[in-house]
This record gives sequence, C-alpha cells and structure tokens, in this order.
Amino acid sequence: MKLTKIIAIMLVVCMLGVALISCGGNTADGTTDATTAATTGSDEPVTPKQGNYTYNLAMSVFPTNWNPHTYETNDDSTILDYTSQGFFTFDYNDTLDGYKVVPEMATKDPEDVTSQFVGKYGITEDSVNQVYKLTLRSDMKWEDGTPITAHDFVTSAKLLLDPIAQNYRADSLYSGNLVLANSKAYLYQGQSVYSANESIGIQVADMTVGDDGQYYTAAGEPVYIGLDFAIPNWLGGNTLSKYVNAYGSDYFDVTNWPTLIAMVDDNGLVPLTKETYDLFVPVTTGNPAWGESEAEIFNYLVIKQTYGEMSFDDVGIFATSDTELYLAIEKPLKGFYLLYSLTSSWLVKESLYKACESVTDGIYTNTYGTSVETTPSYGPYKLTQFQSDKIIVLEKNDQWYGYNDAANKGLYQTTKVQFDFVAEPSTRLEMFINGLLDSYGLNAEDMADYAKSDYTYYTTGDSTFFMAFNPDLDGLKAGEANTGANINKTIITIPEFRQAMSFALNRSEFCLATSPTNNAAFAVFSSFIISNPDEGTAYRTTPQAKDVVVNFWGLADDIGEGKLYETIDDAIESVTGYNLTKAKALFDAAYDKAIADGLMDEDDVIEIKIGTPNLTSSFYNKGYDFICNNYAEAVKGTKLEGKLTFTRDGSLGNAFSDALKTNSVDMLFGVGWTGSALDPYGLIEAYTGANYQYDPSWDTSSAICEIDLNGTVYSATVWDWTMCLAGDPITITDADGNMKEYSCGSSDELPEERLAILAALENAVLETYDMIPIMDDSSASLKGMQVTFYTEEYIYGVGRGGIKYMTYNYTDEEFTEFVAAQGGKLNYK
Amino acid sequence: MYMFKYVVKRVLLMIVTLFIILSMCFIFVKLLPNIPTQQFGKDMALIAARREQLGYNKPLIEQYGIFITRTLLGGNWGVSETLYTGQDVMDKFIEKLPPTMMINLYSMFISVPLGILFGIYAALKKNKWQDHFISTAVMILVSVPSYVYAFLVQYILCFRLGWFPMLMDAGTNYFSWSMFKSMLPAVFSLAFGTIAGLTRFTRAELTEVLTSDYLLLARTKGLTKAQTTVRHALRNAMVPIFPMILGEFIGIISGSLIIESIFGVPGVGALYVNSINRLDYNFFMLLSAFYTAIGLVSGIVIDLSYGFIDPRIRMGSAK
Repeated sequence: MKLTKIIAIMLVVCMLGVALISCGGNTADGTTDATTAATTGSDEPVTPKQGNYTYNLAMSVFPTNWNPHTYETNDDSTILDYTSQGFFTFDYNDTLDGYKVVPEMATKDPEDVTSQFVGKYGITEDSVNQVYKLTLRSDMKWEDGTPITAHDFVTSAKLLLDPIAQNYRADSLYSGNLVLANSKAYLYQGQSVYSANESIGIQVADMTVGDDGQYYTAAGEPVYIGLDFAIPNWLGGNTLSKYVNAYGSDYFDVTNWPTLIAMVDDNGLVPLTKETYDLFVPVTTGNPAWGESEAEIFNYLVIKQTYGEMSFDDVGIFATSDTELYLAIEKPLKGFYLLYSLTSSWLVKESLYKACESVTDGIYTNTYGTSVETTPSYGPYKLTQFQSDKIIVLEKNDQWYGYNDAANKGLYQTTKVQFDFVAEPSTRLEMFINGLLDSYGLNAEDMADYAKSDYTYYTTGDSTFFMAFNPDLDGLKAGEANTGANINKTIITIPEFRQAMSFALNRSEFCLATSPTNNAAFAVFSSFIISNPDEGTAYRTTPQAKDVVVNFWGLADDIGEGKLYETIDDAIESVTGYNLTKAKALFDAAYDKAIADGLMDEDDVIEIKIGTPNLTSSFYNKGYDFICNNYAEAVKGTKLEGKLTFTRDGSLGNAFSDALKTNSVDMLFGVGWTGSALDPYGLIEAYTGANYQYDPSWDTSSAICEIDLNGTVYSATVWDWTMCLAGDPITITDADGNMKEYSCGSSDELPEERLAILAALENAVLETYDMIPIMDDSSASLKGMQVTFYTEEYIYGVGRGGIKYMTYNYTDEEFTEFVAAQGGKLNYK
Repeated sequence: MYMFKYVVKRVLLMIVTLFIILSMCFIFVKLLPNIPTQQFGKDMALIAARREQLGYNKPLIEQYGIFITRTLLGGNWGVSETLYTGQDVMDKFIEKLPPTMMINLYSMFISVPLGILFGIYAALKKNKWQDHFISTAVMILVSVPSYVYAFLVQYILCFRLGWFPMLMDAGTNYFSWSMFKSMLPAVFSLAFGTIAGLTRFTRAELTEVLTSDYLLLARTKGLTKAQTTVRHALRNAMVPIFPMILGEFIGIISGSLIIESIFGVPGVGALYVNSINRLDYNFFMLLSAFYTAIGLVSGIVIDLSYGFIDPRIRMGSAK
C-alpha cells in the first residue's frame, strides 16, 4: 500500500475518532447532579405562581382517531383524556393511599328510581337497581361556550347506537356491566345476525322442533349447521368445509358430507332438522382422528337472531330536563361498578358530528375527532394544534366548569400539554436529558444507568404474561405430519413436559433479558388486580389468593412455626418458579411417558414452533433467543438432551393468538389479557371460556373443579363455576352426590364465597400448565425535574395525581434557564 | 416521429404494466390473513358487521371488480380502514408528502453539487493522497447504513453540540428559517449516501474519459486542462451520471422510513410498511399505485434523457 493511501486512511480514521471522542463522557463537565437542583417527587410542591407550565411528553404511536364513538386504542384515547369528562371520576381517598369515586359531570350519586318504571324496560315490582336518575351540572359547556344539557347525552347515545354507523364503541352501552335497556336491539334493528352457537352454548336437547321441522331456540330463533360458516374459536375462524376439504376421510367420516354440502345456502348454512342432525353427527364424531363427541356438536351450530324495527324511545336513556338524565339498564347494577361504568361518557357535539358524517358506496364514515376543527372539548383542556405523527398541543379550556369550582383551587397548574412524536427511544432519552421532555419510559438498555435513580418511578400493570400451550393431540399430530419424519410435537400433551418447561424457566433472568422493568409472575392475576373495588383490596393480598400461590408451588406444608417459612408471606416471597433439578426429572419423566405411550420414537427430535406477531419486536426477539438457549441448557443431562428444538413463525400479526388455538404454532410467550383490573371475577373467563382461551383443548365444560364453600366441598365444571361468578345460578354436587342449585350472586354479594371460587378457578388454570405465568407488565419511567407528582405511590384510578394534581418546580422560562445553567444537560442518574 | 412512436409505445406498455402490478398487489394483499383480534368483553359481531360493510366477506373477484370500477375508473381511493380510520387516503397522503419532499429536495441540493465536485476533484487528483482520502471516505459512507449517520448526526450535532433541534419543527411553514434549520440534520443524513454515490460514480466515469485518446488530442491542439475537462471530459462523463441524478430527483417523493423516524419528519416514509402491517387495503393500493407509477414514469424519463444529453443516442430509431 502506498504511503499516501495509508496517510489518507489514517486521516479519515482520525477524523472519525475525534467525532466519536466528542460523544463520550458526559458527567464531568456538562451535567449537574439534579438532586442538588430540583426537588424530588417526595418533596413538598413549590407554591404555584403565575406563568407558563408546559407538560412535555413524547409518544411513539400517535392517535389517529379520537372520536368517542369509534376510537380503538389507548393511544387514540390520549386526547380524550384531556378534552372529555365522565359522569364520575376517580380521586384520592382521604388518606391518599387509595381511591374513591366522586361526581364529576354529575352532582351527586345516582338515584335508584326503578320502582317508578314498573312495566317498562322489563322491570317488575321486585326489580331494583335498574333505573337511575343522574343529576348533572348545569354549568357544562363546549369550548365555544355552547351549553351542554342532559338531552345532549341522549342524542349522543342515539348517534352512538346508529345502526348504519356500526360504531366500534357502540357496545360500550351493552357489553359491559352497564347494559342500557334495548340498546343492542336498537343497534341491530332490522338485521338478522348469524351468531356461532359456541359462545351461546345452547345444547340441541334444549332446542325445540318447529312446524317446519327445523330446530329453534327457546327464544324462537332458527338454528343451522355451519358447514361453510366461519366458527371463530372452535375452528379458529375457519369453516368446517375447509377442514373437510383439506383432510377428507383421514380425519372425518365423509359418508354424508356430499349430501349435506348440497343443502348449503348462500350463508354456508344448512337448517338444523332431525334429518340433517343425523347426517351431520357422524361427520365430526365418526372418525377417531377428529375424535369429537356428540356433546360437542353444538359448537358447529349457528343461530339466526333477528332484531325487529325499534324506536330509540324504547332504549333505556332519556332526559326530563336539562340536568336530569335517566338510565334504564337490563341487569341490576349498584355500588362501585355502577359508578365505575359511568366514569366515561359518549358525548359528542351533534351539529359537528353530523357534519363529519358521510356514506359512500354503503360505507359509513365519520371524521369527528380527527383534527383540531373536529375536536370540540368539554374537558379541562382543548386541542389547539394537531399534526399527524408530529405534534399534539392542548391548552386550558377556559369554558370548563371545573376552573370555577372551589374544589379545584390550586389544582390544574399545567397550562399546556404537548406531545411530540418521537419514535426512537434514544432520541427520547436525549430530549429528556436536554430538558425537552418531562417523562421518559425506561427501556431494558437504560436500566443499568437509571434503575436506582431518585427520579425513577416503577408502576405495576394489571396484566400477567404467559407462556402458552394448546396440548391438542390431533392438532399436534397434524403439525408433526406437516413437519416431516422424526419430528415430535405431541410430547406437549404430556403434563410433565409442560411442568418441566415451567420449572426450567428462570423468570427473573427472562425479565432481565427481555424487559427488565417487568417482574417474574407466579400466578394468573397480578398484584394490581383488585377483588374488592369498594375498599380497593388487591386480590393477591387475600388469604384465598395467597393459598393459591403456596399450594401451586408446593410450599403449603413448609409454613408455620419451626418450619421453613414462618408466615405465608415469607413463603410467597421465596417463590422463584425456577427449579432446574425438578425440571430435569420432569423432562425425563415426560420422555419416558412419551415413549411408553407411543407418542415419540427414540430418534425423534422435539420441534416446538413458537408464534410471534412479527420479527421486529425487541421483546419477542430477545425472548425467543432466551427460550432457545435456556431450554437447550435445561435439558442437558436429561434424556431430551439435544432433542428439544424451537422454530419461529414471526409473520402472524394480530392473528398470532389464534394460531395457537388452531395448532398452527405450538407455543406462544408474552401473551395474556388486560383491561379488567377491577373485575377478576369476569376476567377469569378469559382463561376458562372457549371464546377466549388460548388452550381450547382444555374443555372447561367437562373439567371438574372442587371448591370448599363454608366447610363443604362441592363440585361442578370449571365453566359452571365461571358462569356462577358471572351471576348465573348453577347446579353443584357435594361429596355424597347431593345436588343443589347455587348462586354466589353478583358484584358485592357473598364476597368470601366468590373469592373462594375465583381462587379455585385460578388454581385450576395454573394446574393445567397450559398457561404458565412468566412475568407481569410493570413499567419504569423517569420523571423530569420541572414537575412534581402528588404522591410517590401509584394509586389505581388516579396514578400519582395526574395532570390535576401535578405541580411545577419551575415555570417554562425558569426551567429553560435552569437547564442552560447546567450546560444544557440534566443528570438523572 | 420515431421518438413519438417510441414514447406512445412506452406509455401504453407502462399502463399495462401498472394495471398488472396493481392487480397482483390487490390479490396478494387480500390473500394475507386478516382475522380480527379477539378482545375480552368485546361484541365481536359488531366488528364482523363493520367488516361486512367494508366488503371483506365478498368473493375476491367481486372485491377486485369494485376496486377496478370505484378506484381505477372512478378515481375514488376510499378511506383509511385501519391507519387513519375514516379519513380519505388521498388527502392524508397529500398532507404527509410535503415534509418528505422538502428534506429530499434539500438533500439533493446539497448532495448533487458536492458529489460531482468531489468526484471531479478525485478524478483530477487520481492516485494522489486527495483521491485516496476521498475514496476512503466514500467507501465508509457507502458501506455504513444511513441510519448510522442519522444517529451520529443527531447525537453529535443536536444533542452534544446543540447546533440543531433534535426534531424537525411542527407545522407547515416549510420555508421559514427555523423549519429549514430543523430539517438540516435529516437532510445531512440523507445527503451523505448520495454524495458518496455520486462522487464514486463521477470519479469513475471521469477517470475513464480523462484517459481517452480524444482528450489527449484536445490537449495537443492547445486546450487547457480546465477546458478539456469541462468542455469534453465532463460532458461525456455526464451521459451516465445525469440519469442517475434524475432518478434521485424522482425519488424525492419516496420517504425514508428510518431517517424520518429518527428526526420526527411527519412524512410518508412509514406509510407503506404500516399499510401492510395494519392491512389498510385502500392505503396500500394507493401507495402501490403511486410508487409503481413513479417508478415506471421515471424509467421512461431516464431513458428519454439519454437522447437529450447525447444527441447521438436516439430512442426508437430504426438505425
């Protein structure tokens, strides 16, 4: 190489070096230890003074549609959090260690006026808690000063339930605890909806035969067999004909199939008659390879529900004056859950809403809530600037009644809220250090620097994430057949194998590798789940929930005086979920069993296909690598050494959970359910209901669960107990075979018995080892020096005080000067 | 006349090609699984009804027919189904196009002259230390992905030195000084690659031309080195370089996913990928049509440009 070339290369390298050197080292000169300069969240807030106080935040996913009737995601609702209000709202309790629900747009608690409406909305003289009068504030206004009355809520409900619009949020008036009378019937009026019976669960024996020979439900709805009709869960969204066409006589008895398929109508249905029933039953039950029973036939049935024309006057919402709003509901509701159901609202500004409507080629669209012009506010802040995927600015709405309310004096110090779209975490951190952002969500890479910072706040989420299996023998066999010779998947059906997978996973290490802000999880429900919302009692703190953990992890006999653990809390504290010795023994046992049962040959290799939504998510990429390495090590020295392998399908998108249900993949991780922090009694259905289960091979309608109720052990199916928690009466059987009707009521009735049932169901889910809890969804974030939270502890419903209680240590101008004085960079370490 | 026939033929072929590509795009994207996510406590029948209204359950051939009549013949690209629900896809695309165009345009203004100048300089100083320096720098800039420069630019110029804002300014006042300054980090990041590419290409072409016999002849007849370089060498070297520059200019409407993401440019860079990930059919088809058409048009324009740069080249000529 010529000397000149070498010099040239060295010159370039030197220049790069100089540039990189300028990147390194940051504490000695340019930064200041913030603890000397600003108060932490625990300090007394600085007395508010006049000035600009901007709360600067960053988002990596921007809202695109915040129409109260159609928004879909939490990100979409970001703007609504500032521009709208509920009838009631969460606030701190008097001791600042919990929450209470207080009136917001309402002036007082709802009044039960059910008795005034006997004969209407299906209300009888015995009915209670079904019609409520809400008294609203008289000083509510839109941001342009237009008054808001009770009639506006009625009109908005009508728009929400507009049958043509088919608004995404329309079911908020009928699918939760609060079911507005006739709201669903109004929405679906004039339509016939074909619903898969799998979710309704009516058995053929409970149907009647009509004059035309067709079966009908008790409600008079005709029943069909869904041959070419997508069955959401039982067939994972596929049609039976797809399976029959694909597998034919290998899996089905196809003798009657041509006859049946010839009768299929345009909807892919065949009317259910005695004749068609007899023809159909052998199809799914006649071949052991498909292996279903006649009791499961109901899953293939489809019910035609027809809703007649209906006036909105029949829907359970009306106003008698500008401030009196009446809500008639189909299911009795009271107490906390009633107030909780009213913490949001469906209010829209009618004139603007209608101006935003359009129908093209039969497709309804509405652009309400997509820009500054289409976003009228009735909350404490109003939208003043919005640019897609760039910026959101909200400023104080001086028409908001709350600013004239003495109760809010000294609160809402924030004058402006600004969200910037910042996709890259490194950019967000740099902006945060530069004082341009007031909060930064920590990532795995940041934890080494900031895990112990005084500015770091940890928040437990309500979700638990699982490693999930669907040990369906036929599905796994089909997977084996598609994969090739000497590949085994059916070992997954052996419980010891799934147990081994659980004990071989070091959950803490998994969290560190994938998402260090998360904590290892050892049960179905996280510590954030509240079982008694009236008192704010966390489910995990109840004796029943604690028993689940110690029983499941085999520590129950080690608790007590003179034993390994003095208290049950000590025992729970010791749980790691990781026992490699036990896992190895279980791997060996599973292997022996698989060989003995003929599921596996000695030269087979186990290949578990893991499904992930994409190939770009850091969590799934790191998680997959961890799992591959972890289990390769775990099986060393066992009969499965070198025989346990993993592959990945990262192209599944939103459908990745369905892929497990249909055994298109063999395992998922990082999956779970969220959104019901205050209702574990309802949330348990996500794990035991065929509609939601990741493991539909666990037939909860036949799995028996025994529960001790007041000293007597009763048995019923897992699904029956689940329905019992939902308020349905069920039949339970004691040890002597005596049967009785049992109901544990709803919401706040029989709390101890409901807790016992919930804990037993949680244990039943864990014992399947289909859903193996691995971590919760805790998060960590840095708080900026300009702001101070009201409380250090995160309280459900109010967080750490939110925008209402947050105070500022500096005005914007002062903070800019402060940052400049620190050399433009703040030290949060 | 030959040229006219040639252009007409190419345009007709372009329309046929566009139609075939769009048909393939439509069919392939519709073949991707699109199963609504099961949500706890959600009335899935409501989602099913909406999907029915959107025509998802119609036979594929019928959906294709609607696409042909409504979109290709009717010019109605529809509304966004998932990305910007309910909003007109064409309006949204046009709204997001200017920031992308601006940073690409500024990047071209910087990179084209610099790339050519560095290329000329390196060619003139062939095998001297200046040439080696430029060539090594070019090699590094070409080899390193643009997002690496982007992060370095942001870290050094914006974060450490504070010369520029971390993100592009909000708003649509694209010609203000503040907006221009805020765009520069993104512009620099985009320009590095183009500068390197043009430098390398210009150097290679010019080096070849400078060593040709006719340049020697030109010098022998008394022209200065500058005269031969500018009048003869550079002009001939530009024949392959100009179409490259033209291609870069046409590319200003295609966004850079990574660069836009890093510098908060509210452009079109992420739209195409997102439209596929979120299965926003209308957005996907609009973007497919747009980018396919741009690609096809640029192919024709580049081909025709050869003839304008060098009159000896005649497209469609029988001879």
